[in-house]
Amino acid sequence: MDFELSDELKMIQSTVRDFVTEQLRPLERSILGRAADLSDATMYLPVEKERELMGMVKDLGLWGVSIPEELGGGGLDTLGNCLVEEELAQTIVPFNFGDVTPILFDCSPEQREKYFAPVLERQKYAYLALMEPGKEGFEDMEMKAEKTNGYYSLNGRKASLSRAGEDYFAVVFAKTTLDRKPRDGVTCFLVDKDAPGFAASGGKEKAGWEAQVREPISLVFDRCQVPAENVLGEEGKAFHLGKKWLPARRIVRGARCVGAAQRILEESTTQAQTWTSFGQIISGRPSVQAALADIATNIHAARLMVYEAAWRADQGQSLRREAAMVKLFVTQMIHYVADNAAHIFSAPAYVAGLPMERFCRDATAMSATNFALQLQRNIIARDILKGVKVG
Amino acid sequence: MPLREQADVKQVETVLNEILNINSPPVARCRLLSSGFNPGHTLNITENIAGHKECLACGCCIDVCPFLFREPSRREKTEQRTSMALEIIVGADCDQCDACVLACPQVDTTIKNYIVNRRMIEVMSRLEQRIGDEDEPDLDLFAEEALS
Repeated sequence: MDFELSDELKMIQSTVRDFVTEQLRPLERSILGRAADLSDATMYLPVEKERELMGMVKDLGLWGVSIPEELGGGGLDTLGNCLVEEELAQTIVPFNFGDVTPILFDCSPEQREKYFAPVLERQKYAYLALMEPGKEGFEDMEMKAEKTNGYYSLNGRKASLSRAGEDYFAVVFAKTTLDRKPRDGVTCFLVDKDAPGFAASGGKEKAGWEAQVREPISLVFDRCQVPAENVLGEEGKAFHLGKKWLPARRIVRGARCVGAAQRILEESTTQAQTWTSFGQIISGRPSVQAALADIATNIHAARLMVYEAAWRADQGQSLRREAAMVKLFVTQMIHYVADNAAHIFSAPAYVAGLPMERFCRDATAMSATNFALQLQRNIIARDILKGVKVG
Repeated sequence: MPLREQADVKQVETVLNEILNINSPPVARCRLLSSGFNPGHTLNITENIAGHKECLACGCCIDVCPFLFREPSRREKTEQRTSMALEIIVGADCDQCDACVLACPQVDTTIKNYIVNRRMIEVMSRLEQRIGDEDEPDLDLFAEEALS
């Protein structure tokens, strides 16, 4: 058993760490806002700054590291991706190294040129249109697509939480066969911005206090005509898209939580070493020390779990159970860490405008998914019980 | 706190399923199907209450009801904490989760076991449907993509 990272991975990790420390962390204040009432807080970095950072990352050879080589990316393995995301999650600045949803990895060569490449280059934004207003899951999807004369006619409404931009297209999931199970009969379409019958509204970038709230983009399809060549993957097989890559994304998301938790620990340690109460530095108090120790132990356990699952993914092993375990543990871990950090910080963890507050709020939001966690428990339990005969 | 000799579910299965299918809190009707009060649990009283099936007004069913948790203002309609109060204030808005039956101390364990093993399995199958088999796509992965 070797817990040592390869030289290549160590180099990537330290390069990303330096980039985050030197380039992204100094920008946190401009995202959180400098004014007393935080009226200048923003959701994203200015476009010019993003372009500049993108250029830097390209010079480092790290743009699109998570994208498979055949699609023009770096083809970094899951463990490498986890290391990159863990470092990137240690800042609240919304910037990634050319992340594209694996749903688009199944584009045909023509679609790759027209849709995938512009998304990777941040020239176009892909609006992932899966959810429907007022619907919890995808089982009772109402959006329909009917095929007539080589065209599909799309009818329905969708809500997307993707980032809005000037130039965009929608990745729409719609029912093409109505008498099948929820998993079957759903087809994915790439719908151009100017397709007749397609309208998108909302999702505009907010400033000030409202920058904290991400408004969904409302997508309306009224007899929207989409040519058959814009079908992504096979007809009726939308939920089979990205099959090869999506399970590993769950582990990479776990790595993001580990990164965020690591930053919370760092901020908490600084707070504990500098804050005094009743004439004593609070790091001398046993309760604060215990909180720090518990946070560090939880992060360590989560990190090992993420790395082991990522290693399994890279070995080509089945990771349904491991990925579920990562999601279950890491989601609870980040909530626990934020809760303990709030004890160390007392009030400042809830003061708007501090990075700590943003991290704690995001951590609580991440863990507010009880039903999703129950699903993970179900996956794990089924795997344990598989093949076990009772009685 | 039912009697040691409890209701045989096989004998009451049809009625029980009918009760559980009605869109109203089933606790009171399940209590009436049960064996009644076990005298072993009484304090020192002279009256013989063995087999009595009245509501104890413990309020467990009211406390556990998820609908009343979502709409606590309905609780204020009455100070009573009986199964009848539950039926009146929840009525047809019942989620049919059967939590009230499981919380009631007067319902037979045999009936509770039946509900857990035979009725609640439907909830698990709904989860199963969402996850799919080993080689089927996990829809939750798509939900994660849509939300992140």
